[in-house]
Parts: sequence; C-alpha cells; structure tokens
Amino acid sequence: MLGFHDAGHGYDELGLHPPTVRRLLALTRPLYDHYFRVDSRGSEHLPRTGPAILIANHSGVLPVDGAMLWVDVVRHTDRVVRLVGDHFIAMLPFASALFARAGVVGGSHATIRRLLARGELVGIFPEGVSGVAKPAGARYQLQRWPVGHAELAIRHRVPIVPVAIVGAEESWPVALRLRWLRPFGAPYLPVPWTPLPMPVRYHLRYGAPLELYQDHRPADADDPAVVADAAARTREAVRALLAAALAERDR
Amino acid sequence: MRVLITGATTPLGAAIVRRLVAADDVEHVLEVGAEPGIADGPRRTYQRVDLGRPREVHDLLHGPVRDRGVDVVIHAALHRRATDEGAQVHASNVDATRALLLGCAELPAVRRFVFVSSAAVYAVRSRAPGLLDEDAALELDPGAPQWIRDRVEADLTVCARMGLERFGVIVLRCAELLEHASGSQLWDYLRSRVCLRPLGFDPMLNVLSLDDAADGIVLALRSQASGVYNLAGADTLPLSRLIARWGRRAVALPGPLLHPLYRLRRRATGLDFRYDLNRRRFHLGGIVDDARARRDLGYAPSHPIAWPR
Repeated sequence: MLGFHDAGHGYDELGLHPPTVRRLLALTRPLYDHYFRVDSRGSEHLPRTGPAILIANHSGVLPVDGAMLWVDVVRHTDRVVRLVGDHFIAMLPFASALFARAGVVGGSHATIRRLLARGELVGIFPEGVSGVAKPAGARYQLQRWPVGHAELAIRHRVPIVPVAIVGAEESWPVALRLRWLRPFGAPYLPVPWTPLPMPVRYHLRYGAPLELYQDHRPADADDPAVVADAAARTREAVRALLAAALAERDR
Repeated sequence: MRVLITGATTPLGAAIVRRLVAADDVEHVLEVGAEPGIADGPRRTYQRVDLGRPREVHDLLHGPVRDRGVDVVIHAALHRRATDEGAQVHASNVDATRALLLGCAELPAVRRFVFVSSAAVYAVRSRAPGLLDEDAALELDPGAPQWIRDRVEADLTVCARMGLERFGVIVLRCAELLEHASGSQLWDYLRSRVCLRPLGFDPMLNVLSLDDAADGIVLALRSQASGVYNLAGADTLPLSRLIARWGRRAVALPGPLLHPLYRLRRRATGLDFRYDLNRRRFHLGGIVDDARARRDLGYAPSHPIAWPR
C-alpha cells in the first residue's frame, strides 16, 4: 500500500491498519463488483503521489457512497483516501474502530493539515450531514457547501479533485429523520424507505484537478472572499460532473 | 551548568540525574525528593524537601540553590497516586510549582526553568483533533478528577509566567510514561492479568519510555527554546494491541460497567488505576503531536518500550 506511515506497530498514528484495509477490500468486493456494479471513470486524475483533496457529493443513510469511493481509489491508485468523517463517528461503538482502521479521520483542520503535509489523499464530503439528510426530492442537488476544503487547498497548495457519485442518492433514500433521537451524539436517527440500500448502479466520475493555489498565495486562505470564490468553483466543478454523469446515464 | 531537579527519587528523576552526572558540562546536580536516602556523590547532593510546604521551598531556594549557584531548574515532581486527593496533594502539585517558579525569579543565577508536565492536561473530546498539538484545548472541566485538574493548573501556572521572567521557561507535556512508580495509570492498569476495555472501542494510544522522556528533558534544558512542547513516545498502538504486547488478556465489556468494576478493584486491591480518569482516552484515544519538539529541540523518540513479549 503506497504512502502508509507506520507508527511502529503496523498502524499509523491515527489508526490506519493495512491488513484491515485488505480485509475490507475483500469483503466489499461483492458489493462493489456485483451489487452496485460500480462504473468508474476519470481515475487518471487521481494523483499517484503527493497530497490532494477529493471532494464529492454525499447522500445515503449510511456512508455507502464513501465506502465505494474508498474502494475505488484503493483499486486505482493503491492509496488509501483518508475520508473525513463527522465528529460523532468517534462516539459510535464498533464503527469508530472500524473506520479508524480504514483510515477515516475526524474533521479537524489540525488532523487534515498533518495528513496533507505528509502527502496523503484526503476525501471530504463538503455537504456533510446536510447531504446525508437530503430528502429524496432533492437528490443530486448540492446542499450547504462549507468552504474549509478550499481554504486548506489554498493554504497548503494542494490540488482538489472533484468527484461525482451517481447512484447513491437513489439507492437508499431517507424517509424520516428522528431529530429527538440522537444516538451517540449523531444529529438525528435516519429512517430509510428500505431496510437495505437498493442495488442501483454507481457511477463514479473524477474531474480534472483544480489547482486553486495557482492564482493565490497561501496567505490568501485567510481572505473570506477568496475562499468563498474558490469554494464556489469546487461546487460548480462537482455540479457539472454530476450533471454530465446523470445525462450520460439517462441517455 | 548547575542543576536543581525536583522529583529526583522517581525513576524519571533518577534517569535524568544519570544523564546529567555523566555530562562534562554539568558541574553539580542538586537532587530534591520527598523520600529519604540517596547517597551524595562528588558532583551531586541530595536534599529531602516537602515541596508542599512553602517554608521548605523558600529555604531550599534561598539556601542550597543560591549557595550552589544553580542556573537550571527541572521541576519534575508531581504527586503520583491518582487515588490521593485533597488540599495537601494540591499543595504538592500546584502551590509548590508556583512557589518554585516565583522563588526562582528572585535568584539572579537561574536562567532556565523546565517544567515536566503531562499530556493528561489535554481535553480529549470527539471534536478534538486526532493528534493533539500544543495548541489543543486543555481539560478545564471542573468535574474532572483532581489528578487532572491539578496537572492543568500547574501547567497553566507555569505557562502564565512565560515571557514575564528574565529566564527561559519551557513546559514539556509528556505522553504517558509507561514505567513503574511513575504515576502511570496504564502501568497500573496492566498489572492485572485480565484488562477490561470498552466494548466497541479500540483507541490509539502513545506511550513514552523512560529513556526517551529523560533524553527529551535533557535536550530541553540544553536548548535555548521557550514555550510548550509535547514529547511523544516511540510506541503508538491501539489499546487492544498494547494489552496484548504486555502479555495480558483483554476482555471487552460495555463502557458503563468499567467504572464500577475498576472502583471495586481499587477498593479490593489498593491499586491506583481509575477508570474515570481514563474513560475518554479509552474511547477516543489522544495522541500528542511532537512535531514542534522534533523541530526546535531535535527530539526524536528512539527507545521503544521494553515489551514483555
């Protein structure tokens, strides 16, 4: 596995564990190949070395889209994308440990900074919980789009690879969000229409890297207008990829 | 260099003294501890002092410290037993630190003050970064056990004097020193053949060896740097792996059961491990980021723990 930083006992300091990654890859193969029949294109845009931030649309009851993206990136690059999860994930029994072994990290700038500094791939779903919670009628409409990823890209001079995930937003629609029930600090308990995700085909599309830092100095990352403009560019890039992938699928 | 070291009777204190005595540029080491009985040597003197008593601190500073022309102070004495609480413990941890620091300000020869703090001062939360650098939030929860509150207060007491004194002040927040008689909660935890851990959680932990801790402290006292520095150890591993490497058996139980079970164990055996002190890191981990110490002090942990197997 490329770019693994062993902290001395076969784990990196944030808990990534290559043998667990290999086991998870084997376990998810039937899902990737046969259930969701992932059709991936544009993986040549994924850097084989050096840091980059992947940003994608987000949906689903559980982060199945994240899992398929994670598998796809490992298959094409032999690199583990460090997906950034919401803070409450660390409070979830079993899931917290499993996600950590797969390389998922908590969403703090300090942690992401460290990963980028040592040349890792970081995966961010800017929509976050608002993406997961989007109603079925809002599928493929990008929700709130925080600007943190753009700030990081400018400050650390890192390319952003936009990613569109088509299929996930129809696979497991949310029927209800029980906001009065907040297990382990989660913002709500999602109730899906179906007990399991439906076998909708996934289409993953990687776009050409956006080098936002080319037009800016690292210090510009402190300028709210610059960062907002950069985030608008990343949002537009994901939206355009999504539109193209949907048009291609529905043709 | 003439050095005063508090906590000299602990394993860490003794390891630092060994390094100092072996160094050519150290003229004398004035060792201070609460226990009797370390033999003086040609370049070392031992003095028994109860740092919790202001008069004894005053007499130490204005007696042997002044007479010997001590120019570097290493304060490495914190009360180790987590089960001891109360005003006397607070005096040993916090008041003694303040008295030493303020007393040193009156001694013109002192040019450096090194405080050996602990990574236990950091707040471990789900929102905290996975790697805790020196700017991470501190544990200021008033409901935290005194063992933690005292460490935070002593740490902040020293930090508050940075830039105000004419001498350099450096705070070293050390990862847990996995060593006997060092106040290590994990050491005590691992004394049982069966170690209970929270079901569904397997956090990453970092542990520090005696040699790395002593090397880091000696580097700090020789450097010109001031400020706060984390010292991490060479071993970063999940709790389950740590238990296995120690040759113990891990049994995972629902988290809420662990505090009462370990309280029962403490009462039955007198052992010091407190689950309430460790609950957050046994769920969420908490690794200190020592990048600053590597960069400024030249610190590089190179002595892994001597695992039993």
